Amino acid sequence: MTETSSMAPAQQESGSQTLAVRASGVDRAFGGVQALRDASFAARPGEIHALAGENGAGKSTLIKVLCGLIKADRGTVEIFGTEVSRVVEPAARRRMGVATAFQELSLLPDLTVAENLLLENPPRGRLGLVKRRGLGPAAEEILGRYGVDDIDPRATAADLSVAQRQVVELVRVLAGEPRVVILDEPTAALADRQVEWLAGHMRQLRDAGSCVIFTSHRWREIEALADRVTVFRNGTHVATRDTLSEAEAVTLMSGRSFAGAYPELTTVPQRESALRVKGLHSGRLHGVDLDLRRGEILGVGGLAGQGQRDLFLTLFGAQKARQGTITLDGKAVAIRSTKDAIRAGIAYVPEDRKAEGLFLPLSIRDNIAAATLSRRNTAGFVRRGAERTAVGSIVDQLSIGKGRSTNRAVDTLSGGNQQKVVMARWLLTDARILLLFDVTRGVDAATKHDIYELVGKLAAQGRAILYYSSETEEIAHLCHRVLVLREGRVAAELAGPVGDAERIVAASIKENHDA
Amino acid sequence: MSTRRVLYALGGTVAVLLVGAILHPGFASWSSLRVMLVVASFTGFVAAGQMLVVLVGGIDLSIPWVLNGAAIVLTTSSLGQTSRAPLAIVLALGVGALVGLGNGLGVAWLGVPAVVMTLGMNGVMQGLTLGLSKGLTCASCGSYAPEPLRGLFDGALPAQLFLWAGVGLFMTVLLTLTTFGRRVYAVGVNPRAAFLSGVGVRGVTVALYTLSGVFAALAGIALVAYGGQPSLGLGDPYLFESIAAVVVGGVSILGGRGHYLGVIAGSLTLVAVTTFLQAQRVPEYGRLMIYGLVILAILFAYGREKAHD
Repeated sequence: MTETSSMAPAQQESGSQTLAVRASGVDRAFGGVQALRDASFAARPGEIHALAGENGAGKSTLIKVLCGLIKADRGTVEIFGTEVSRVVEPAARRRMGVATAFQELSLLPDLTVAENLLLENPPRGRLGLVKRRGLGPAAEEILGRYGVDDIDPRATAADLSVAQRQVVELVRVLAGEPRVVILDEPTAALADRQVEWLAGHMRQLRDAGSCVIFTSHRWREIEALADRVTVFRNGTHVATRDTLSEAEAVTLMSGRSFAGAYPELTTVPQRESALRVKGLHSGRLHGVDLDLRRGEILGVGGLAGQGQRDLFLTLFGAQKARQGTITLDGKAVAIRSTKDAIRAGIAYVPEDRKAEGLFLPLSIRDNIAAATLSRRNTAGFVRRGAERTAVGSIVDQLSIGKGRSTNRAVDTLSGGNQQKVVMARWLLTDARILLLFDVTRGVDAATKHDIYELVGKLAAQGRAILYYSSETEEIAHLCHRVLVLREGRVAAELAGPVGDAERIVAASIKENHDA
Repeated sequence: MSTRRVLYALGGTVAVLLVGAILHPGFASWSSLRVMLVVASFTGFVAAGQMLVVLVGGIDLSIPWVLNGAAIVLTTSSLGQTSRAPLAIVLALGVGALVGLGNGLGVAWLGVPAVVMTLGMNGVMQGLTLGLSKGLTCASCGSYAPEPLRGLFDGALPAQLFLWAGVGLFMTVLLTLTTFGRRVYAVGVNPRAAFLSGVGVRGVTVALYTLSGVFAALAGIALVAYGGQPSLGLGDPYLFESIAAVVVGGVSILGGRGHYLGVIAGSLTLVAVTTFLQAQRVPEYGRLMIYGLVILAILFAYGREKAHD
């Protein structure tokens, strides 16, 4: 296996059968960054093929080349043996039966679910005009065919949750019954239940003879779904295998070996309460009580959309509470704005670093300094020396960007390093309470591991941490205690480390059976 | 990338001057340059304000009548008397600040889109100005700018240029050395992330619109000082000029990127092109067309540059 894997997959398989997708010798650069370097990839019809790699390994770029969104600088791309390297037009690929669901959701936010689903092929009347009245039933039929009953086809796309939007995007792609389906991180925004749903449909397509290509940062899913795995590193093909253990995969992806998925929870929380919340009503929250102690990592679990986001945003002053009290170190406080929260020593690291965390074109230094500008100023002027020292030390501490200049724009960093930049910004505030909201989403395994260790270290320093993750596994292993939210209330409290994620999932859905 | 654009803009100025000097001896002579610099400085003042709001993804369409209103306030409150000049200047700048504050509050607190808010404010100022001056050009009211102001343009190196240098210094220091400047770029690049980092997004926005009003008023004062008397419609050309100078100067119209040095270069390029076309005896309508095409060409070039990055 090791022998063949060092060979380019395209050569390896030529002649054996017609390949669904074949790319060979593909180069692609963005500005000065070489995203793909002599990259090759091949997938057969009738297989589920996972594409694995760290952030910045070139997976997304390869997908964009395959689906005709961008052009390769060099190299060839073939779809069912037809050379398409020169055609840069997703619509032309779609006519060849290639459909793609992107990581950045491509729904039009102001259109309804039905309009989005039927954008390319709406029901038409006699004059060729769109039959508006036919849209709803047609969309309902499509959603029904895929067993989706919790999304109203008349709802505007912008009003859906991220997970619901992802489901619509997937249904749109699947409904075309494509011969080649490419799914870029399709599960990142989905809850476990929806992942199962997607897996079923991916298998169905494969059994019907389609070629299904997908990427994921969750090894569990790759293991469960993929017939074959291709690993990319630094923009090039490293290996293609039928089976691959997680440890092997991580070694291949990062080029180094990797000890243990989760660090052991060695610290013990202190006695003193850092943050106490009583009867909090806000958004979907209907009366949440919690007590977060110093040095404690408190997990917030539950199905997606049970008010977790409302809890974090309200504690950070970014959303108004309707009712309830917040006590910090025994003193009642009013947190009316993000400024109040920062002053009180609270930090919030958001899930969507591109939309809510980063200033992409600005430098690493500007990004890290953004929340603490007023601490390093004399009469409104930035104390540049102090800033450089502060940023430099935190950059070293978190090993961001491998010692390169902090003048570089943040968008030249990989996703994992970008997430570290956001973390660094908040560590500079000396916040005593850290609200970490799904901070490992879309982050590669090695950086995830760095973040787990960092979280442990921060707790050991006596900081109080509220931790939410869309991966229940993480909450099960990292937290001293887990609160399970259901319908805006704390439904269960589990002592940690829980270890078995199933226990959290069970607590998340228990009530539904009783009722 | 935005520093590269500043170089492009400066290169553009030099290129136009060189072509002009080759085709028309004396085009780049000191006396000719001096006139171009003075004319460009008016654009430079208004463009300073325009740039500040463009940096946060906004726009200020109220510039023409804020400028015009401030010019008329200056002459009518000073009545040409030297002793009243300081008060008149303060009043004129105050009018600009007040209108800018209104714009900022409307945009930041009421959530009115900048285009609508500032366009509406331009209309209000136009109405106020026409009403209070009773539709007469002030040539017939006999109002003049105070004598010392008019003296600004005498001398080999007009004092006007020192004022522009001061504005340039102010803008550069404000945007690159202060915490306020950092916040401006943060808001311009990603307002949501800025808000979540504790930046007072609304406060920054209001401050920028207020400054834009002050700069428009400053241009109004400089223009009456230059011409001696204000006229109605004095500010009309400066809306287009300010946006053009900002864009040519390499400031991203989407916000978050750009330097005032580029805007200075942009103002100079615009004036050099106009002067060159006049020297070529291109009729007015042709000049306007070429002017528009030059700006489109520059925008096209910047757009392509972005696509490549």
